[in-house]
Amino acid sequence: MIIETVKLNEMGIFPELFFGICIIYLFLYGTFTCYNSRFNFPIIQTSISYLAILVLIMVSFLLINDCLNELNYISFNSSIANDYLSFTSKLIISLSAIVFLLMTQEHILDQKINHFEYILIFLFALLGIFLLCSSNDLIIAYLSIELQSLAFYILAAFRKNSTYSIEAGLKYFVLGAFSSGLFLFGSSLLYGISGSVNFADFKDLFFWSIPGYTTVTLQSLPLLDRFELLTNKIRLMGISQFSLSEYDCETLLTDFEYLNQYNQLDSVARAELQDLIIKTDLYNELGRYFEAGFFSQMNTPLFNERGLRLIENLDIFNYYGIMFPSFAKKSLWQAVANEAENSRLFIEFMMYDIAGEKIAMGTDSQHAHSPLCYLRILAHSISSYFNDSYPKNCRLLTVYMPYFIEPDDYQTKKYFYEHEAFDVGLLKFALTFILISLFFKLAIAPFHTWSPAVYEGSPTSTTFFFVVVPKLAIFVLLLRIFYFGFFGFIDSWRYYVIIGAISSVLVGCVAGLEQRKLKSLLAYSSISHMGYLLISFSTGSFEGIQMLLNYLIIYMISGLCVWSIFVLTRLKNNYSKKQNKDLGDLVLLHKSNNMLALILTISLFSIAGLPPTIGFLVKMSIFLSAIESSMYFAALISILFSVISAFYYIRIIKILYYEPVLVGKLYYPIATQKAFVTTLLFYSFFFFFINPTALYLMTHKTSLMF
Amino acid sequence: MSGVQIPFSLYQNMIINILFYFFSNILLFSALMVVIVQNSIYSVLFLVCSFISAASLLFILECEFIALLFIIIYVGAIAVLFLFVVMMLDIKTINLTKNTIKYFPFGSFISIIFLFEILAIILKNFKSNPYQEKFLVNFYYNWYEKLDGLTEIEAVGQVLYTHYVLQFLVAGFILFLAVVGSIVLTITPPSKKSKSQIIYRQISRNQDSV
Repeated sequence: MIIETVKLNEMGIFPELFFGICIIYLFLYGTFTCYNSRFNFPIIQTSISYLAILVLIMVSFLLINDCLNELNYISFNSSIANDYLSFTSKLIISLSAIVFLLMTQEHILDQKINHFEYILIFLFALLGIFLLCSSNDLIIAYLSIELQSLAFYILAAFRKNSTYSIEAGLKYFVLGAFSSGLFLFGSSLLYGISGSVNFADFKDLFFWSIPGYTTVTLQSLPLLDRFELLTNKIRLMGISQFSLSEYDCETLLTDFEYLNQYNQLDSVARAELQDLIIKTDLYNELGRYFEAGFFSQMNTPLFNERGLRLIENLDIFNYYGIMFPSFAKKSLWQAVANEAENSRLFIEFMMYDIAGEKIAMGTDSQHAHSPLCYLRILAHSISSYFNDSYPKNCRLLTVYMPYFIEPDDYQTKKYFYEHEAFDVGLLKFALTFILISLFFKLAIAPFHTWSPAVYEGSPTSTTFFFVVVPKLAIFVLLLRIFYFGFFGFIDSWRYYVIIGAISSVLVGCVAGLEQRKLKSLLAYSSISHMGYLLISFSTGSFEGIQMLLNYLIIYMISGLCVWSIFVLTRLKNNYSKKQNKDLGDLVLLHKSNNMLALILTISLFSIAGLPPTIGFLVKMSIFLSAIESSMYFAALISILFSVISAFYYIRIIKILYYEPVLVGKLYYPIATQKAFVTTLLFYSFFFFFINPTALYLMTHKTSLMF
Repeated sequence: MSGVQIPFSLYQNMIINILFYFFSNILLFSALMVVIVQNSIYSVLFLVCSFISAASLLFILECEFIALLFIIIYVGAIAVLFLFVVMMLDIKTINLTKNTIKYFPFGSFISIIFLFEILAIILKNFKSNPYQEKFLVNFYYNWYEKLDGLTEIEAVGQVLYTHYVLQFLVAGFILFLAVVGSIVLTITPPSKKSKSQIIYRQISRNQDSV
């Protein structure tokens, strides 16, 4: 027996570990320097901020260095998912955090925030955000949300001598604690119902529910509709649903049981097993086939031929007691992992898809009347896939049936043996709670009231961070819970999402018109953007996820650009060192700094969604994805309100250029590196407009492979 | 012969019984005193005492984990918080004896109802086999497999440092952040302000505003 102390393919959170240790070292450095009377209590903001940038750059390198093919898909007992979604989101977040830290350096010094902990608490929040991006488990999700929002409360209240800041921190603390409580309540209900906190388990347990019904049973539908639904759903979800099946093998059948069962087999069965393991040629072929990433080629001759051959065996389906062959999957998985490492995701999908197709063809079979039967058919198709002689394999598979349904598993037993309806009303209740708590965190419209107050009260650099960086992580969690875990209940959670989306578009556009302060204007603008994102979130299709990620990335880029200009325009006159800018503080910017005014104008155009920038493309594709999934009303309303919201962006531009005053304001000059980064962000609007393929391909890959 | 040798387990049982009665008497007494005592600080201290004795009862029942949680959470956090609040608020003690006599019949009526409710629940739920009318009764359990020789704390520790090590680490980070945040928000930066004499302030202060 080899004791492996550190398995490298288990180290899915290596960047996070590095990051956490670095934060502690930075704390030591700061404490021993800053609170030392020998050095006369120096202010080390600049050095700490550069060190933080260095750490974040190294974390990004580590992230890029992670070989996603080598890493286990899930690590730390399936509480961390190392998929492409977490990789992409973490990379984007760390890059935007680097830009954020670079931009706010002078502003922090200017505002006399002299505690070095200020920047390190940002790093804590980032650690929480990273963990949130890769969480595959309600516990990790809750803990990372807590880490993140605790840092946020402190950051909001950081200016101790400002009443607004303290009020903002307190408000944020109370409401954030409330929403965390909602999240905890929902998760505890989920745990009570399902006995698990893992998203993959939720997927396995509740994937079979049919939209529109309050029970998980399949009895209540006529045969044809049921299987059409099932197969459609399988096609729809495809890889994202079925990529986690390695986990099933590990939990259902430990190595010990595996060996035990293997020893109990007779020689014939052992030979069959060996045969099964050895037969990987087809797998390799198909793995290579899929590695190219051509999902559209599902209906190629290879599949059709297979499918046709499988129909011939349809009347053997009444063989009793074959369950989903987790054991066979395990052995096959091992064989496949040796041969074709990259193809694991695709192979799982392929099995399911073939089974689904076959059911669609064989719906008249009288035996296909329950999920159990469906699984049987699945098992049959898989087994016949590897060994064309069906009954021979069945014996092997039957042996393992009791191990699929564990004797303690009350719910499974009830579900499979009794065919009793399982009421999911409570489950939907719990899901609503989780949804609402995440809406609180995202400041979606009925739960948005804290956000303008908090954004306005807290220090500007903090608001910059709140608005730009953490939204992506919450959306990743939403995707993981509601797309990965509970896609079966899309019909129930979708309405809440649509209501939140439309109302926050409305609130963000209408209430933004009133604002005179730049910060609260941008806060309302962020609320309306969250609304657009939720519209594409509620579509329930791959395009929806893709457009969501596109829009989020562009939102982050344009947010970085606008907020950078906001913190870089530091007024020169001494008396108005206020932290909160009126719109009038930017009056006639184009006289004093023409380029900066131009950049601000273009980025506001991009946010408003005007054509020569990428903002137009992503906004349009969000509306397109909404229309494609027949959400005409939501699309219409959001298009109309996006026109209205263009007003207040254009009003800022008017103030920059055409305000009827004689004298503008004077600003401090901007350092070269900051101007360079701002220009880069500015160019990216046009670059992505001319060449959106890079963005779209990346998000497409992400939406397919989480 | 000097009689029968008493086996060790009997001694053990006896000691456990004695401890049980001891702690439950303390618990009852201190719970009573929480209500009766006039001084609110004493009342909170009796509350702490009752928590500790309840924790000891749980120790006797071999529920170590819950007992430790009792001590950490109730005694360590909540009761101390109560104590601070009571000390800060400076509540004046009023003579409550008259009210006690006045409200005694009504209070006893409510407590009798409560007693009956509790008795009903106990009589209903503490059956020998709660699964008697349930779905699970016919399923065979191998209870021997389900027994283990681990104490609760060992079991929690075994899972906590292996399966949930990441969660443990993240919780540690949260605590660290909480400590840092509370220090940062309350600390006054080391200032190099020179000491100065402001005459009018010195003159205008009186006994109350020192």
